[in-house]
Formats: sequence, structure tokens, C-alpha cells
Amino acid sequence: MTDDPAAVGGPAAAVDGPQAVHGDQTAVGLRIEGLRKWYGDTRALDGLDIVARPGEILGVAGPNGAGKSTLIKILAGETREDEGSIRLDGVAWDPYVDLDRVAVVHQEAQLFPNLTVAENLMVGREGTRALRRRLDEQERRLLDDLSILDVADRPLESVPLAVRQRTEIARALARSARVFLFDEPNSALTEEESTDLFRRMHDLAGAGHVVILVSHRLAELVEHTTRVAIILDGTCTTVLEGEALTQDAIAAELVVGQAAREPREQITVHLGEPAADDAAVLTLREWSHARGHFQGIDLHVRAGEIVALMGVEGSGARELVRSVAGFERTSGHIEIQGRIEAPATTATGDSSFVSADRQASLFSNLTVGDNMVARLDDEIAPRGALRPGRMRRIANELRDRFRVKAASIAVPIRSLSGGNQQKVAIAAAIVKRPEVLVLEEPTRGVDIGSKSEIYRLMRQYAAEGHAVLIYCTEVPEAFEAADLVYVVSDGRLSPPVLVMTHPDVESLARAITRLERHTRTQPAA
Amino acid sequence: MTGSTASTPQRTTGGGGSPWYGRARDVGIRVGGLAIAILIVIIIFTALSKPNTFLTWLNAMVVLRYMSTIAIVALGLTLVIVVGEIDLSFGFMYGLAANLISVSWIMWGWPIWAAIILAFAAAALLGVVNAFLVTIVRIPSFIVTLGTGQLVFGLTLLVSATATLNPAYPPPGREVSRGEVDFFFGLANQALPLNIPMQGIWMVGVAIVVGLVLSRSLFGFRLKAIGGNPEAARLARLPVVKYKFVAFIVCAMLASLAAMLDFAFIGSTQPNLGQSLLFPVFAAVIIGGASLSGGRGTAIGTMSGALLLAIIQDGLALLSVGAYLQQFVQGSVTIAAVVLDRFTASLRR
Repeated sequence: MTDDPAAVGGPAAAVDGPQAVHGDQTAVGLRIEGLRKWYGDTRALDGLDIVARPGEILGVAGPNGAGKSTLIKILAGETREDEGSIRLDGVAWDPYVDLDRVAVVHQEAQLFPNLTVAENLMVGREGTRALRRRLDEQERRLLDDLSILDVADRPLESVPLAVRQRTEIARALARSARVFLFDEPNSALTEEESTDLFRRMHDLAGAGHVVILVSHRLAELVEHTTRVAIILDGTCTTVLEGEALTQDAIAAELVVGQAAREPREQITVHLGEPAADDAAVLTLREWSHARGHFQGIDLHVRAGEIVALMGVEGSGARELVRSVAGFERTSGHIEIQGRIEAPATTATGDSSFVSADRQASLFSNLTVGDNMVARLDDEIAPRGALRPGRMRRIANELRDRFRVKAASIAVPIRSLSGGNQQKVAIAAAIVKRPEVLVLEEPTRGVDIGSKSEIYRLMRQYAAEGHAVLIYCTEVPEAFEAADLVYVVSDGRLSPPVLVMTHPDVESLARAITRLERHTRTQPAA
Repeated sequence: MTGSTASTPQRTTGGGGSPWYGRARDVGIRVGGLAIAILIVIIIFTALSKPNTFLTWLNAMVVLRYMSTIAIVALGLTLVIVVGEIDLSFGFMYGLAANLISVSWIMWGWPIWAAIILAFAAAALLGVVNAFLVTIVRIPSFIVTLGTGQLVFGLTLLVSATATLNPAYPPPGREVSRGEVDFFFGLANQALPLNIPMQGIWMVGVAIVVGLVLSRSLFGFRLKAIGGNPEAARLARLPVVKYKFVAFIVCAMLASLAAMLDFAFIGSTQPNLGQSLLFPVFAAVIIGGASLSGGRGTAIGTMSGALLLAIIQDGLALLSVGAYLQQFVQGSVTIAAVVLDRFTASLRR
């Protein structure tokens, strides 16, 4: 990788032509030059150059671990660069000191869970006077636009993630900052909400602000940004714009950074009618949630099968998936490999669960290696005495198999990028070798390279004769990862959709939309 | 300690291409911070005590005895802190244990072994009650143990009837067999070579067990995981509730052990025993590097913290400093030690 901005469009760039070069570099906007940052001996940024002009939306894409998060942290004033310069409108700007100029919408909400939605919007902006108790008109409108005004007085910890993220967005929008940094802002929003958010981003850009969008979703980048900067190994390798800005081009650029990436494996699982009872690894009958999130569910998942449950927030899909792992109060009948599990309650070793919330799936005080083996017992500690050698061996194997990008298994888990943390979380669940692997949004906030690796490992685990049940919110994920898709709406299960019968994502999306509507309008049985 | 909590120093996992700034340096600086603090305190006391009564073998053994009470209780508390909870009741448990032994033995005429069992059973019960309220009823441990501590103190007053008891001089009408007194006092008063105090031996034994449990056992590994992220531990099906029960029970029982040994050494009990332990024990654990937010703590760290506090206690006593100044110095040194430790922790990055 070159770290000379002038060389961009040259050897490293797959897309040539004048558009690929940074273009005229006036003093206006955000100019980042030669940014370097080390964590210990891990090099996170290695001479990064990026220019963001006012009036445009600059896309930033790169695999996990490429340095995106570090760039965001520096711009958000959470950490400081070791070298390099940041200039805003021609003036040197240190985000670490001058926080007011930047607003960041994070991929995981960084708010105050104990305050209400409204208080979160106001906190830090109360001014020097006594704490304001009421929202002003503009703030009310802002919350209303994001359709969270009706929950303004609810504590943040009691509202769903989707609302939390919208609160974060409202907070950013309420600040009259110069630089708006959107870091996977819509990963938990619905289609309509996303569209709304993007409209806002265009408005901000139109008003002459500097808007940066960090995203893994190629379609979004192509549709909404003016240019896309590709970050690989801590440098900006190329900038795509105009005609050259296509999904394929971004994907091609990103893949350059994936060492020896294998072609996508064929789905080898058997296809056909939904599973019969006898072949099922997991069987649910008359499975109902104690607080009514779903009722009377019958579901079978066969060995070797990946089943995706889809449904909007509140449909019961998320709760249904969690209930299989034993983390919801339920009634009814559940069988795993023919064994009847404790009815209605919890926890057997027959299933492993990974939460969508990475803060609930990893131990931040432990190393990467220790996180990987945290669920094991006899394997790492026969008769209760730890065997460090075994722990190292298992963790190193997992690191290689999951291609976790970490300097060593002894580094703290927090030093890894989001996608690599997710790989560690899933690795820790798989190494326990459960009959049923239960994953909630397995690739939320994960780059496409890591995504396809996670899918590959899921498929491999299923192929070894296990059942995999996932909750997903995105059709492309269901298309890539699943064999069967069920739609949950109003706590009821649709007939299954066989993914292989759909030639492309659009076709699957249409089928899912149709089923969703159908299931919702159907009278309750 | 946010941000720089690389790993607990004595953990032996990981490695695999350890970088130059890795584990060895980590341990070096971690121990270094506390070692420097201890060294400074020793130098100051040596310089101040004229003629030198501080830096002598005999006084070192006195420090060792002071230290052992703090350390035994603090090692138990370390388990509770590591699993992410707080115990404020250990000092009162210490008082109850000592008084239960003396009252049941001297006043009720129980055999000594039954009296000791009674004390430990009471401790186990307190641990169970604490853990039950924390894990099942889900009340924050700070509040639970604040309450149970007071409750236990009340029990102590009731049981002891606020009397001071000494088995060698039982009150009129009570008799204590000479053999039992010898046995009991012998628990902490054996004549050992080099004037090594018996309680020091007990402490080393407890420290080895707790140290091995924390650093080399599945229990300790999971205790740290649970303390680091209880929600993740629950979702990963780690036995969160069970481990918290064990931590609270062990903490209360180690407080009872320390109480029994002190009783055996000193020879008498009174109802307000153990209340002065709250500060030094907590300070030892925190100086030792355990994180109050859970997931971090070591036996060696807690021992070093206890050593530092014992040295200060002893040194101030030797200098005949008034009680008021003692508190002042203890508080200052504790804060200074933690600041020094945070500073060296930032060097570790």
C-alpha cells in the first residue's frame, strides 16, 4: 500500500482516470494529512490522507481493522494522533481539545442510559444556566422528525436499540457542529428511517457542512455519497467518484486488502420441504412468550441447516431467537436432539447464544485469547486447574480459523476492531460445540470481508451436523447466510421461504415483503 | 483503571509472540509501583525512629502479624470485588465470629470445637444471606451488606451482652478447661523459630490458596469474566449466581478465620471488635490493584496492599504518634499509593 496521496490513482488504484484523484485542494473543508497512530506495536493508522469538502458527503469504507475506527476516534476527540495534521477550513484543528466542532453518530450508541431520551438530547447543552427541564420547540421538532417524541420521557435504557440510535442522531443534529461524522448510523433503522436520515445528511451537506459517512453497505455509499475513500491497512489507498463509484468497484478495492480470500463456497446443504419432525435438531411446539411477544410457534431446524428469522423491531423475531437460547420466559415444548429441555425457562448447554450487542458478548477486561475460551470448562481446565498451554493452543487455532486480525491473542479485546471483536464472540460460542448455534444479528456493524468469513464459518458449522438459528434484519444477510427464512410479524411465523429458489436478493426481498404483509393481515389462529 | 487494563499481571495465558513491552515489563511496573511506595514508607520510618527500633527483625515480625489480620480478611474481600460486588459486612462478621466463639465456649459451656464450628457456620449463613439478596432478590450489594453488617453487629451485642470475655479468666461460675484454652491459644501462639508469628503462617497458607484460585483455576478465570461483564457471563451461561454465593461465603468465612486467630492471640473478646478493619481491608484490596468495577484483582496485589498498611500502622505506633494523626496518615498514604499505581499503570501502555 502506498501512503503518498499523490500516488493515488496510480499503481494501487484499480480505478484510473482523473476522477480518482483528490481533485482541487482548496483551503475549505476538512483536510487530514499524514495521520499516524500506534497502539503499542500495532499500527492503526499509517500516514492517512483524506480531504472532505463542504457540500459533499464523503464515504469512507474499509475492512475492520483497517483504521476506520481509529480515524473516527481521533475526529471524535476520543484519542489523539501520534503524527499528522488536521485542518478545518484552513485552520489547524485539534478535535481532542475543540470538541464542539464535530458531531459523531456512533454505531453503538454512546449515551446516558439512565437519562430520558429528552434529557439525553439536552445534556451537555444546558448552557450555564440551571438545568432546563423542557425541550424547546426546535428540539421537539427534531425528536418528532425522528418519530421519538412520544418516548421522549422514557429512560433510554428502557427503549429499543433503534430508538437509542435515533436519539444519538438527534443529539448530533441538535448540535450546530461543522463536521458531521456518521459511523454506521443506520444499522438499526428501518428502510424508511434510513431514507429519512440520508435526506438529512444531504441537507447538512447542502448547508455547507462537512459530512462523512462510514459504512459497510456498498449500495448506500454509491447512492448517497459524492466520493468514497477506501482505507486499507491504515492508509487511504484510493478515492472513487463519478462514474468509477460503483458497488463492484468498492468491493474490488476492499478485496485487495483481503489476503487470499477464497471464492464463496457453494451451499451444500440439502434442500427441499421444511424439515420433518424426526430429522430436526431443534423442535419448537406451541412455543409462546410469557409476555406475548410470540404465540403458538411451531418450528423445526434440521442438522446442517441455517434458518433465519426476520422481522421488524417488536415483531417478536428477536425474542423468539433469544428464547431458543433460553433467555426469555416462555411456555410450550422445546426439544434439542430429541431431548426435551426444561420447559419454559432456561439454559442448557445444548445451545450457545451470541447477542447482537457486542458489549453483552465480550469480556472487556480479558484478552482476545481468554475471551475465545471463556465458555469452555474441562477443555481448558481439567479438574478445575487451568492449563495455560491448552488455552493458548485453542485460542491460536480459533484466531487462525476465524482470521481474527490481532497482533497476538494476548492483546486486550478492546484493541480489536468491531468486526474482529464479533469474530471472537462467535468463535467463543462455536468452540463450545453446541447442537444449536443461536446468533442475534451475527454481522451487525461488520465489514463485508469479515461478513463473508462469518457466513463461511456458520455454514461450515452447520455442515458438521448442527443447527444454526439467526435473527437478521437485512435481506442480503438472509440471502447470503440462510437456507430457510421465516418472517415473524405480530408474534406469528410465516411459511418458510427457500432461499435457493431466489436468484437474487431483490427477488428474496419481494418474497419476504409479501410474506410479512400476508402474515400480519392474517387473522390469529 | 479504564483504558489501560491490559491484563492482570500474573495471568499466564496469552503470550504467543509477546512483544518487547509485554508481560515481564508489565509485572515489573505493576509490582514496581507498590514496591516503591512500600520502600519509601520503610525509609521514612527508619529515618524517623531514633534509636532505630523500626528496621529490626523483631519489628518486621510484628508487622507480619499486623499484616496477617488485614490480609486474611482482604483476600476474602478480593474475591467479592473481583466478581464485581462489594461487601461491607466483613468487619462486623469478624466481631460476631470472635464473640460467638467466646460466648458459646465460656458462657454456654460448649466445647471449643463446637464454638469454632458455630462461628464458621454463622459466617457461611451470612455469606448465603448476602449472596441471596444480591443475586436472587437483586439488591445492590452495597446496600445489602450495609444492612446485614448492621444486623450482624446487633446480633453481636445481643449475644455478648456487651461483655468482655477472656477464657483464661472466666467470669464467676463459669469454667473453661485448661486443655481447651491451651489448644485455642495455640492456634496463634506457637513458639516458632525466629519469632515468626503463627498468624503469618496462616496468612501465607490462605494467600497461596486464594492466589492459586485466582490465577490458576477455572473458578478464578470465570470469576474475573463474571466481574468484568456479568451480562455477557449470563448469556455465555457461566454460573454467575453460584460464583457470587461462593465469593460472599468465602469472604465472610475468612473474616471469621482472622477473628478466631486474633482472639487466640490476644486472648479476649469484646463486642466492638473488627469495626476498625473496614478501612485497612478495603484500602489493601484497592491499593493492590483490584478494580471496584470488577474483573480485576490478584492475591499478590492485595498482600502488598496489606503490607503497606501494616507498615504504616506499626511505624506510627513505634513513633508514638497520636491516634488522630494515624488516621490522617493512613488516609493520605492510601490515596498516594493509588495515585502512584495509576501513574505506573499509564506507563504500562
